[in-house]
Amino acid sequence: MKDILNIVFRLTVSCLMAAMVMGAAFILTDKAKKHNEHAREERTMYSLLGYGEGKPVPSTLALHQIYRYVITEPGRQLIGYLVPTTHAGKTGYTLVSLDLEGKMADRKAVALDVEQSREKEDRDKAILAVIGPGKEIRFADHTIVVTDNGKRVAYLLGGKFPGFKTFINVMLALDQQFTTLGLEVLENEEDPGLGAEIEKDYFKNQFKGRAVDVLKGLQVVKEPLPDQYRQALEGRLAGADVSRIMEQFKDKNIYALTGATISSRMLTDGLKGMVGKFVYRLDILDHVLNEQKIAVSF
Amino acid sequence: MTTSSNTKTPWELLSRGILSENPIFRLALSMCPAVGISTTVMNGLMLGVAVLLVQVFSSVTISLFKNQIHPRIRIPTYTLTIATWVTVIDLVMAAYLPGAYAKMGIFIKLIVAFAIITMRLEMFACKENAADSFWDGVGMGLGFMVGMVVIGFVRELLGSGAILGYDVLGFKPLLFFILPSAGFFVVGLMMAFFNWVELVYKRRKGIQS
Repeated sequence: MKDILNIVFRLTVSCLMAAMVMGAAFILTDKAKKHNEHAREERTMYSLLGYGEGKPVPSTLALHQIYRYVITEPGRQLIGYLVPTTHAGKTGYTLVSLDLEGKMADRKAVALDVEQSREKEDRDKAILAVIGPGKEIRFADHTIVVTDNGKRVAYLLGGKFPGFKTFINVMLALDQQFTTLGLEVLENEEDPGLGAEIEKDYFKNQFKGRAVDVLKGLQVVKEPLPDQYRQALEGRLAGADVSRIMEQFKDKNIYALTGATISSRMLTDGLKGMVGKFVYRLDILDHVLNEQKIAVSF
Repeated sequence: MTTSSNTKTPWELLSRGILSENPIFRLALSMCPAVGISTTVMNGLMLGVAVLLVQVFSSVTISLFKNQIHPRIRIPTYTLTIATWVTVIDLVMAAYLPGAYAKMGIFIKLIVAFAIITMRLEMFACKENAADSFWDGVGMGLGFMVGMVVIGFVRELLGSGAILGYDVLGFKPLLFFILPSAGFFVVGLMMAFFNWVELVYKRRKGIQS
């Protein structure tokens, strides 16, 4: 009995010490970790929009986040868009709820600032507070509308869809005509050297410059990637040559990765689905925002 | 297998982990990551650095608290120690070394269940002083890193025709080497090489096996 108590005591002390060390590390690093995650996300966004070391971000450029939620209440389901709105010169958020027919069901101001809106926990709490009891919410996705001098210039879409192994997490940039500006694979667990090559320039840049109608009909072909096209995709040619070659291939299908046709196809189909749904949803949302004269900041 | 320092010098402790008791090629431990992750030199190097850090911190911690650990719960205590250091290193790197973390992040979390680390805590750190445990941890960590880099080099060159991501051959000689099953071939060949080196060394020195 004495031995058991001794073991229980020592194990408890070990666990408490471990918890204290991990807890202290978490408290000391949490702020910096969140800051880094945000900075990394922002860097990816700007790089997809074509800004970087050689081309600084103009001060007139602004990113506006739209969060989409599924709201479940007894007897019906709604789609809630948390959109940034401007009221008396101040930016706040409004929850615009649409029914499944795409008609506006409800509209409520949400007590959130831009910083708070980035944290899912704060966002959920604020939405639940305005929609009232007895309703459930589920975060679906988020989109960023990019404006320059108040005029829409691009959209950034985050998406997650099945790959060959697990999920592929991407960010896609579209211009105002929904032509692809760039693709970044944020996370994937495909086979290294095979499916994981989806994040390499020579594959992901094949989606660059594709008009929405072309993208919707894209197929994956098991043919060798032409050498000149590969060089253009990897940026190994002069700027004018890259543009000329990319123009030549802008209506062609996607060349599959060697030994990873399924990964190539899953990514292509995932992007097609993402863009198709986005264009459809944005059209509905814009229609409601204009109809209801909601003063959104984008 | 040597289980204690027996007044060995730091250099002897270091070289033992890298050569005579190399975790992958001599002790055949932590083979899952060796074949699963080592598809490129960079992957091998990243996982190697992560294991080195966790091994050193865990070895020193166990060595410092060895008299307080009850013998019947030593394995859970080792696991708890390793998990704690893995978590701390993961959090610190994510916060202060975001560039390195972007590349190494996924590897660090894998280390909790590595046999090589638990084995060194059981065979060495729980019996020796903190300084010797530190050098033993560094040696074993470096040995693991060297093993991973060598396997990654062979697989990346033969599987992708590249080294450190740079295309050196212009074609992929044997795509099969990218797959986990090929990792066993490379590990097997390297084990045979290490055994041959040992045999030659012993013959020259006139040592009976």
